[in-house]
Amino acid sequence: MFTRPDNWKKMSPLERRTARLDAWQNAPVPFVSPKAEAKYKERIARVRKIYDMEPHDRPVADLFMGANEYIVRRKGFQGKDTIYNHEGLRGAVLDFHREFEPDVSVGPMPYPGKPWDLLGFQTYIWGGQKLPDNLAIQAVEGEYMTADEYKDFAADPTAFWLKQYLPRAYSALAPMTMLPDFPRISESVDTIDLLVPFGLPPFQEMLHKMMEAGNELMKILGAVGQTGAMVAAEGYPGMGFNIVKTPFDYLGDTLRGTRGILMDMYRHPKDLLAATEAYVPVLIKSIIGASDRTGAPCAMYVLHKGADGFMSKEQFEKFYWPTWKQVMMALYEEGITSYLFIEGSYNTRMEYLAEMPDKSLVCHFDKSDMKQAKDILGSKYIIAGNVPASLMAAGTTDEVRAYCANLMDLFGDAPGYIMAHGCYFENSTDEKMRAFMDSVKK
Amino acid sequence: MSKELIDAITEMREDDAVDITRKLLDAGTDPVQVLDACREAMGIIGKRFETGESFMPELMLAGEILGQISAIVKPRIQQAGESKKLGKVVLGTVQGDIHDIAKDIVGFMLDINGFEVTDLGVDASPDKFVEAVKQTGAKIVGLSGFLTLAFDPMKFTVQALKDAGLTDVKVMIGGGQIDEQIREYTGADAYGKDAMAAVAIAKSWA
Repeated sequence: MFTRPDNWKKMSPLERRTARLDAWQNAPVPFVSPKAEAKYKERIARVRKIYDMEPHDRPVADLFMGANEYIVRRKGFQGKDTIYNHEGLRGAVLDFHREFEPDVSVGPMPYPGKPWDLLGFQTYIWGGQKLPDNLAIQAVEGEYMTADEYKDFAADPTAFWLKQYLPRAYSALAPMTMLPDFPRISESVDTIDLLVPFGLPPFQEMLHKMMEAGNELMKILGAVGQTGAMVAAEGYPGMGFNIVKTPFDYLGDTLRGTRGILMDMYRHPKDLLAATEAYVPVLIKSIIGASDRTGAPCAMYVLHKGADGFMSKEQFEKFYWPTWKQVMMALYEEGITSYLFIEGSYNTRMEYLAEMPDKSLVCHFDKSDMKQAKDILGSKYIIAGNVPASLMAAGTTDEVRAYCANLMDLFGDAPGYIMAHGCYFENSTDEKMRAFMDSVKK
Repeated sequence: MSKELIDAITEMREDDAVDITRKLLDAGTDPVQVLDACREAMGIIGKRFETGESFMPELMLAGEILGQISAIVKPRIQQAGESKKLGKVVLGTVQGDIHDIAKDIVGFMLDINGFEVTDLGVDASPDKFVEAVKQTGAKIVGLSGFLTLAFDPMKFTVQALKDAGLTDVKVMIGGGQIDEQIREYTGADAYGKDAMAAVAIAKSWA
């Protein structure tokens, strides 16, 4: 939870950023020992200096976007366990931290399997459900919004997510279509409109299902939260972010699908633009709300459809960048750092990123040219990446060592650099983990 | 008129391309000539993709335009016979991976470049590839995989083809996290970074 100081309105964006980072860095942790406390403070101070692009002893090695599944798979757990066995994973997560002493914490994503089952979640399939037990999750691309519905979305994005998307994405939430349009709840008798669905059996049944799913979710969050708290108590801070997307990717990944939205740039350009533009203020409010609730100083974008190859520079300039930049600028004004997890290659997009204010971004690369990243972005922003998942899975330890050493040659003296993977991987070896983590230590 | 059709396709004017096709056919143009114009247009788009002037939206939309034109033209050329194919390719997304967008683009580009493509869809097991190669007699196999979980199924598929004695079959792989390192790991013969690379590899093997 982040509470704004009294003088918030008078603070500059960078002062606000400092306030958010201070609150994150100094959040109380019930440490298991003075030694754990000292190590935690040392580790989080190093990350903080990197975020501030101030002189520091060395870069950090962050395993989160690469080894988050590997750390439990190495103990025999499977993809299914990351969805249904949150309590069971705790030992493996703690063991990894005790054995490897990473710079920052790492753990599997907290996929809520039982709530998904109860609500009939449609937009993903997962291990233990429709995928074999050894796999985790995969997105099911689909058209959860038709092209004709762009106008409905633009008229009221929140209502669209609530009344159109939810019933399509979760079979148990079909009765959400019964909700009234909220701008009409005004006069005395409008209470009737508001309450009618709540008095009808299908809606009531849905509410019971949601409560049941909510109870299951609390159990999962309790288990995951306890694991996280124990990892922190033993001395390991996190990187501090919430996961978000760009306006275009929310529409493309979730509502229209890749094929749908890429065609829409030709078939429905005006409707697509209007929808992304209408979404901007809603998204800004939502991300700021999440940042305040969790106290995370960064909003982490998982970036998809703006990558090299997905669209031309002209299309990027028209459909992708302007609304995304608006959101990031609004977050910057609020002191929130945009952490960009740039999947694929972004060699033709770096000049756009360079338009943002200093220190407003962390640019985490997957398959981009890191020399170019350093030249164009390295003095303005924090850079992270780009150790390939293929290398961690199929390369030798010496190859990992050599690749990381090259990155250190390039970024060892950069104002802010985080050694990180370009993408997650299922399989690797402990030796390669060590080579990756040791690469940043002098 | 054929030039008009080529321009409409390469400029992504979907409705115009369909209209021009109808007009050409109504005016008595040989349907084979219409398909030749489509092939020429796709060649131009493919070249633009290679040089970084066209991207996924253009490949996808061109594919859709061609689908519409084919639906109009093909019933009229039943007697014309199939054009000679460069070779047969068995293509699919490997076991455990359900992503099909990149695989579909590769299949489409191979098809319009003269290959007969057997598409096994997604989540295709090694046995399914072996079976399809035996049935079709294809000498080229394309394995697609978007996620890192595709590394091992690709390796198993390459091995399964060898175990089945299909040693004269060449395998190319591609996908989001696939690279030369994974080619070596899986024992595949080639890695292609995009659809045009897949076409170039297949042509070099045909």
